[in-house]
Amino acid sequence: MRSPKCPWFWLLRKEWRELMASRAWWLFLVLIGPLVGVSFISAVRTYAEASGLNGTSVGVGEAFSPLIGVWAPTFSGCELAAAFLFPFVAIRLAAGDRQSGALKMELQHPISSFARIATKGLVLLLGWLLAMLAPLAAVALWKSYGGSIYVPELVTVFFGHLLNASLTIALAFAAASLTVNPSTAAIVTLAVTVGSWILSFIAAVQGGWWERAAGYTPTALVAEFQHGLVRLDAVTIALVLIVSGFAVAAIWMRLGIDVRRRAYESVALFAAAAFVIFGCSLINRSHDFSENRMNSFSIADERALREINSPLHIEVHLAPEDPRRADLDRRALSKLRRVLSNLQVDYVSSTSIGIFEQTNPNYGEIWYLMDGRKIVSRITTQEGVLESVYSVAGVPPPGDDSDIFRGHPLAVPPRGAPFVFYGVWPILVVCVAFFFQRSRS
Amino acid sequence: MGQTTFNHADDSAVPRPLVHVQQLSKTYGSFSALSGVTFSVRSGELLGLIGPNGAGKTTLFECLAGVQPFDSGEITFPFGGAQRPPKSSILFYVPDGITPWPDQTVGWALQFGIGFFGGLQDLYPDIVRELSLGELLHVRIRALSKGQRKRFLLGLGLLMPQRVLLIDEPFEGLDLRQSREVAAVLRKFVDKGRTIFVSIHQIADAAKICDRFVLLSNGFVVAEGKLDELTSLAERKQASTSLGDFEEVFLALT
Repeated sequence: MRSPKCPWFWLLRKEWRELMASRAWWLFLVLIGPLVGVSFISAVRTYAEASGLNGTSVGVGEAFSPLIGVWAPTFSGCELAAAFLFPFVAIRLAAGDRQSGALKMELQHPISSFARIATKGLVLLLGWLLAMLAPLAAVALWKSYGGSIYVPELVTVFFGHLLNASLTIALAFAAASLTVNPSTAAIVTLAVTVGSWILSFIAAVQGGWWERAAGYTPTALVAEFQHGLVRLDAVTIALVLIVSGFAVAAIWMRLGIDVRRRAYESVALFAAAAFVIFGCSLINRSHDFSENRMNSFSIADERALREINSPLHIEVHLAPEDPRRADLDRRALSKLRRVLSNLQVDYVSSTSIGIFEQTNPNYGEIWYLMDGRKIVSRITTQEGVLESVYSVAGVPPPGDDSDIFRGHPLAVPPRGAPFVFYGVWPILVVCVAFFFQRSRS
Repeated sequence: MGQTTFNHADDSAVPRPLVHVQQLSKTYGSFSALSGVTFSVRSGELLGLIGPNGAGKTTLFECLAGVQPFDSGEITFPFGGAQRPPKSSILFYVPDGITPWPDQTVGWALQFGIGFFGGLQDLYPDIVRELSLGELLHVRIRALSKGQRKRFLLGLGLLMPQRVLLIDEPFEGLDLRQSREVAAVLRKFVDKGRTIFVSIHQIADAAKICDRFVLLSNGFVVAEGKLDELTSLAERKQASTSLGDFEEVFLALT
């Protein structure tokens, strides 16, 4: 008599049991509570003080958005966990079979290597979702304080961190399969994480393609989701990277295949992934899920800008490290890119910091060029940029008919949060871990 | 890179060869682990792969099982016929010195083996009893002694549905009594029609249980045959008629 259940079901069960047996996993789960908690408590306290708690100036926090004031910092605990704790859990699950010798037995089953790796990935994602109970506890506490919750932006943040965790899993799997030792895999994974930060630093200095590439690092990805923005190019590129990481792991876990062939397959995979990523980077679709439309112009402005069909060329004479350039990009150009499909922005500078270019009469100027017309401005605010764009396009500025975001001030301290995150959470996790260990023996 | 192919059934030989290995070679850098290895595994036999440590026994098994690539040569399954069944449906390899799924219990791992590999649930009670695994079913694999782990791995292998079972060092870590019990269990399965191919470096043990032998030395197959055939071969080679036991036969041939 043969067992009637599908082999994949058994594999899934096995991986789940392996995760539950992993001390690294339970330690990760214990730590994520206080990690999220300390961020949440600090954010709520600051939010409350800015909203007028304990006699501070009332009114400052009136335009406060919980997305930026509470959820971005709270979920940043998850980002830390994904960068520094979760890779070890993933590496343990991916490399464990090879270390123990189980892989030599499992490889004799005809199930595909990719299915095997994807099963591990699925189990880890389920594990990550369990860990997300910590920020969900923060959401419940916030609600109990009377705080406002705008579900679309919260879901966006949640989705961003899920994508980031998936990237971590894919990277850890690839590292674990390419290296013999789990500790080497951990070093490789952390090196890639640190490398992405270095890339962001170089991008800030050099600009250009560096800046464009840095826009797709996990840190940049998470930052955009934490601002309620979902860019289709970033999401698709992240998905391609995730699938590629899994595929690399699947290739290198096939111990019975000649190393040269595995190397050729990996090179072909990298080439295909690079091609698809380049294609994805050309997608210019995004959606702003933030309640206060922080990534968008007003509805009236967007309607007016969409009427402009001629190509707009903006030449910015500011160095990469000039703070005005960052302001201009964040406050206006990033929003303009989302509305105008025919927009080309060029940055012109001879140095990276700009201090020694001040004598250049054009330095600091922003040129707006359209259909032979040219407007020169030095204003980097949203209003100033819009005024110049309307002027060069010959379009009258629209009247302001949009609803003004009034904010959700909340002058309530984080009552009960320390008890939940520093007491209940760790004790609960330890108890559940103990129960799991007992029930399996 | 070698090839795995399946040929039409060969009815000329009884017992039929189930696996035929031809000119199999494998190198690690400049070190040659296997050189032109050629032999057959016949249906319903207990075949012993005999060789000293470092002879290439484990490498050969891993190449046969497909968990390690080989450089050249061919592994064929002559009985396969036109349907060409996959290698995974014919061979199962039980490695030596591994601790698979260390955090799982023996009982769960055996059930996983049955469920995942399509193992033979009917044999489960018998195998648990005959390999004295009953008292270990709730013990985690990492907590097993070397001998207990070996018995668990043997049990797992015997539960597999494949016709040919490759077992690397089945007596490693077992005491005398356990070795005899395991040998009896293996013999019982062979008598029921299972084909078992074991690698053994203790020549005296091999002589007691195996039907036929493949002698491997420094990556070369130096001889293949039954004990009397190998003895005759060794005597011819040594021009002697007084080779006492299999150990002397082995030394004469390698």
